[in-house]
Amino acid sequence: MSEKLYQIVSEVFNVELNKINDNTSPENLEEWDSFNFYVLLDQIENKFNIKFDLDETLEIKKIGDFKKLFEKYGINT
Amino acid sequence: MKNEENLAYFLNEAKSIKAQNFEKKLQIALLGSFTLNGFEETIRVKCNQQKIECRTYVSDYNQYNQDILKKDSKFYQFKPELTFLILDVRHILGELYFHPYSTPVLERKELVATKVNEITNLIKTIIKYSNSRVILTDLQVPTYSPYGISEQNEEFGVKQIVREINTKIRSENKDESLLSILDFNEFIQKYGEENIFSYKQFFSGDMKISIEYIPKFVDEMMRFVNAVVGITKKCIVLDLDNTLWGGIIGEDGFDNIKLGDDPIGRSFVEFQKRLLALNQRGIILAINSKNNFDDAIKVINEHPNMILRENNFGCIKINWNDKVTNLHEIASELNIGLDSFVFFDDDPINREFVKNQLNQVIVVDLPSDSAKFAHVLTEMNVFESLMITEEDAKRKDMYLGQRKRVEFENKIGDFNKFLKQMNIQVLIKKADSFSIPRISQLTLKTNQFNLTTKRYQQDQISSFSDDKNKIVESAQVSDKFGDNGITGVYIVEKKDTEWIIDTFLLSCRIIGRGVEDIMLSQLIERARKENVKKIKGKFIPTIKNKPAENFYKEFGFKEEGDFWIFDTEQTIKKPEHIKMIKNE
Repeated sequence: MSEKLYQIVSEVFNVELNKINDNTSPENLEEWDSFNFYVLLDQIENKFNIKFDLDETLEIKKIGDFKKLFEKYGINT
Repeated sequence: MKNEENLAYFLNEAKSIKAQNFEKKLQIALLGSFTLNGFEETIRVKCNQQKIECRTYVSDYNQYNQDILKKDSKFYQFKPELTFLILDVRHILGELYFHPYSTPVLERKELVATKVNEITNLIKTIIKYSNSRVILTDLQVPTYSPYGISEQNEEFGVKQIVREINTKIRSENKDESLLSILDFNEFIQKYGEENIFSYKQFFSGDMKISIEYIPKFVDEMMRFVNAVVGITKKCIVLDLDNTLWGGIIGEDGFDNIKLGDDPIGRSFVEFQKRLLALNQRGIILAINSKNNFDDAIKVINEHPNMILRENNFGCIKINWNDKVTNLHEIASELNIGLDSFVFFDDDPINREFVKNQLNQVIVVDLPSDSAKFAHVLTEMNVFESLMITEEDAKRKDMYLGQRKRVEFENKIGDFNKFLKQMNIQVLIKKADSFSIPRISQLTLKTNQFNLTTKRYQQDQISSFSDDKNKIVESAQVSDKFGDNGITGVYIVEKKDTEWIIDTFLLSCRIIGRGVEDIMLSQLIERARKENVKKIKGKFIPTIKNKPAENFYKEFGFKEEGDFWIFDTEQTIKKPEHIKMIKNE
């Protein structure tokens, strides 16, 4: 599941897969900007077939935070 | 959704577009009342795919008013040629969007007039300061009213307010030839409000079109871009077996192909009906099929459920040649460029072959399910034109006439004999309200036999025709196979002792029959009668106008500096096989 998540992140931000890990965040990835974060969110929601609540999306500070949300929504990671 | 269709793809592609020197160029401005992130990137990628070199300007967040009203704004410095003004209903109505009935009905009525004036003023200002074409998105009609089902009893309810604003903007600006409307409500009808709008994205970043649907919205914008730069495909080339009917005529036979009476057959009938409608508005249809001619033409002529008949096709190639050879022949017989073609074929191998050999042809990725054919066709945005003239609708008949002319020419053999038997007539007429749209269209679209390639909008042609010192005339050509419509234009500037030819052009399908010579010779005769000594004209070379290169020289003009000059005392070359009628 990590693999699928990282794959989406790598595609949206157009960076190599091996640069992505749970600690990837706007601080250490310059390709991550405020608008393409929404694009990422939209892609993850579509590909995993879930819809996050607005407040949940505001809590996402790094890629690993998506995994916590997956757990909450019963998606195995 | 395929990856090439999602916004992430466009955002990333946009970063890697290299500066290209395409022939088609366009300055596009996006002015919006909400965040337009992603729109600009997508439009640049799509333009690049269509070989349009596009530069863009995006107004800062909600700064469209300042951009438009200040004559020295960055927007005007950018020199836009196409401006999208994308306004949204929440922004325009403000609080009234939520509480329409807190305001008395009279004030609500006045509000409609005020908003219509404001928006009209914005449009007129853009046009006045920049001469850019403006594409306005109309306002989204709300699907919710606090009055619920009783909203319909309410005078000037919120839905009616929005509908009235949309209608009035259209009606009050209908004479503004530089304004077009992008029907936003149609866009929503197509994809659904629940899909195209996301509250979460709206609250997060003032996005009024959801991320997933931004590329779809840009597709609608591209219809206008294509029309403005003149990417209007002229001809659809069709395979027959499993494309126009189900099955293979050579194997299944006349009685067993699927056309009409079963679910599969209905899908082909639907596809043909959509094609027929495009044909009726002027898109040429042609056949490119590997088949025994007699088997296939029998279906076209005699099958009871066939919608398209032999006369709907401007060119028919049913033979055992490969698809590329046939496409070359179709292009040469119709006398249009391969870049005007859209190619439909169910066979992926044929499609790959054509794609590889002729990259200027649009090869449609036809799905294997024929139920999708009609939809694939109606979703295409390459047949757009900002205005369809009467000539466009007549064009299909002209190409049918053209096909018959070629058959006649082949039968007669000798070209001069052929010309004599064609009974060509040329009607020369001063520009009037009927012909002005067509004259403008010809100056915009004619590339080959065009001596100066000056492009003129309708309002320019109309002011030239009012000018006593200018001659603006058109030539309408007909022969024994039918009317070719208005196909020639010249614009002449009259000075005391000389006339200067500003524009002289002839539609490519008429070249080579002496029409250009009769147009010029009668013009010179007229100059001679009015005691004008000299006729002058320039030839301005472009990539495409080689066919006109030697026109002045062969007519007897002498080169002097930039100009070609004809002394009106000289004898005039005048084709004998053409009858000229002058209608003033």
